[in-house]
Amino acid sequence: MADPISDPIGFSLEIMTSPLFFKVAVFPGLTSIGIIIALFIWLDRKITARVQLRVGPLYASPLGGVLQSFADLIKFAFKELFIPRNADKFFFVAAPVLALIGGAGLVGLIPFTPEWQISNLELGLPAFLAFVTLSPMLILLAGWSANSKYPFIGGLRSLFQQTAYEIPLWLSAIGVVMMAGTMNLIGIVQAQSKPWVIFLGLSIPGWYIIPQALGALLFFITATAEMERIPFDLPEAEPEIIMGWQAEYPGFLFMSAAGASFVRLYAFSALFSVLYLGGWMGPAPVPALLWTAIKIIIVSSLIILLRATFPRVRIDQLLRAGWTYLLGLAFLNIVITYLLVVGPRI
Amino acid sequence: MPDIAFFGFAAVTVLGAILALESRDLVYGAVSLGVSFLGVASLFFLLDAAYIGVFQIAVYIGAVVILILFTVMLVGPAKGEGPTEFRRTALFIGILVAMMLGVGGALASPSAFSTNQPCTPECDLAQFSQSLLVTYSVQLAVLSLVFAAAVIGALTLAKSERGTA
Amino acid sequence: MEPLASFFGLSATLLAIGIYGLATKRSAIRILFSVELIYNAANLNIVAFARLRNPPLVTGQVLVIFSIALAAMEAAVGLAIILLAFRLNSDIDLRKMTRLKG
Repeated sequence: MADPISDPIGFSLEIMTSPLFFKVAVFPGLTSIGIIIALFIWLDRKITARVQLRVGPLYASPLGGVLQSFADLIKFAFKELFIPRNADKFFFVAAPVLALIGGAGLVGLIPFTPEWQISNLELGLPAFLAFVTLSPMLILLAGWSANSKYPFIGGLRSLFQQTAYEIPLWLSAIGVVMMAGTMNLIGIVQAQSKPWVIFLGLSIPGWYIIPQALGALLFFITATAEMERIPFDLPEAEPEIIMGWQAEYPGFLFMSAAGASFVRLYAFSALFSVLYLGGWMGPAPVPALLWTAIKIIIVSSLIILLRATFPRVRIDQLLRAGWTYLLGLAFLNIVITYLLVVGPRI
Repeated sequence: MPDIAFFGFAAVTVLGAILALESRDLVYGAVSLGVSFLGVASLFFLLDAAYIGVFQIAVYIGAVVILILFTVMLVGPAKGEGPTEFRRTALFIGILVAMMLGVGGALASPSAFSTNQPCTPECDLAQFSQSLLVTYSVQLAVLSLVFAAAVIGALTLAKSERGTA
Repeated sequence: MEPLASFFGLSATLLAIGIYGLATKRSAIRILFSVELIYNAANLNIVAFARLRNPPLVTGQVLVIFSIALAAMEAAVGLAIILLAFRLNSDIDLRKMTRLKG
């Protein structure tokens, strides 16, 4: 390593060219997250439009209006930053920005391939889920700081919903940990590499979505609720409480708040493909990174399809389902997994 | 490098703790408390107890701070904040200074406790979970019973007077 | 690696801040803050002492897990009591809660 004091240019060049810097700054770090968010916004609009027999974004580029969401993001950045007079200014600005940063931090824990990962923690899975638990605090603060009725209702709804669904989320992820015997995300993917059955030369990959079908379903539902997407978007229900906790947000801050939800969509789709769909592994000889990308796109498209096809649930239905059915099914999943793991040994 | 990390996290922890008690608005106090907990969690990471750090984040910030924030917002920010009594303040600032002096003494003599070696591969999760789930399994079960009792108690307390008060 | 003594020092500082809050604050929520700070000081101390040995003593870490869980319960029950007291007295100043009857 160059000496930082005697050779500042060489030192900064060395940092700039190190692989870690590239990972944090370009892929899978900040630049790629920004671009992928814009692409996800486009995907969201396009799929919803197709389901509703519309065409969606069309004109902004030859390729189905891909550039429309980039244009919208630029437009948001130039809007006036209007902060309500009675708002608590510090949290009003800090909460959505911190939510965006926290969501981007989640992506840093995901292994896209063994090489393309920013930080490989031994406790990758619980660390991811623990950082997810920070977000209801930020959303509650965002709703409270606007000092207005609808945002506060939205913040409280988000608090109830996210804390209720965190518990089944953790419990359904335990099944994967029990089968893989590790909490490291790379270790979890490698544990799925052994084919399940080989039948007539066709191998069914040993992805955990087969033995963990119930767990995967529960994880999918609770993750959708944690992301606050339709049918679980009560905190920002547009017809009821006019965008909930985001109601008062102006240009750039609204972009952060909306972007945070799409970053979480990205991070959770990636986590789902790592936990249940074998991450970067696949039956056909395609580059590993492409497999991850395909799986993420499939999972996120499914979540977006939910938005276009299901009506919103009521808050009492949501909480009752979370605390009773989902919790009970998560425990059932743990019992089933226990039998699957321990059963063959007896 | 861990020196800088330690002093950074320690500063965050102590400043968060002081702000939690002295900030004018209780909401800011609750958030500072969360920041302080986050600092303690980072210190657990430095002490090679990563699992406890993750648990600390999930339980303290994911549950306790959110409960406190919720209560603060229900109760209203300005309640119960009478002026602090000066004599007691002076007394306890005295105690604080005395303890800080003791801390300074401890820092001045690093030989009092051995500097620990870097963690060997035995610092792994398997040993920890073995201890938690096998050696202390009965205690864990009792803890869960206490947990159930606490949840039921909290629910009953918070619910009981709804009609009358 | 930082000498463990500084962890003990930090823990003592947190404890001192917690005791200061317990003694001078009147709002029940601030007092709950102080109790949580004292819990954290104790947990930090236990983990640091468990780290004295190499490999670390896992019993200490298990104890801290129990302690964190108990602190969470204590916060839940404490906040429920504060809510109830607020409903009865419409104040959470502990010095004003002088009635024994609810």
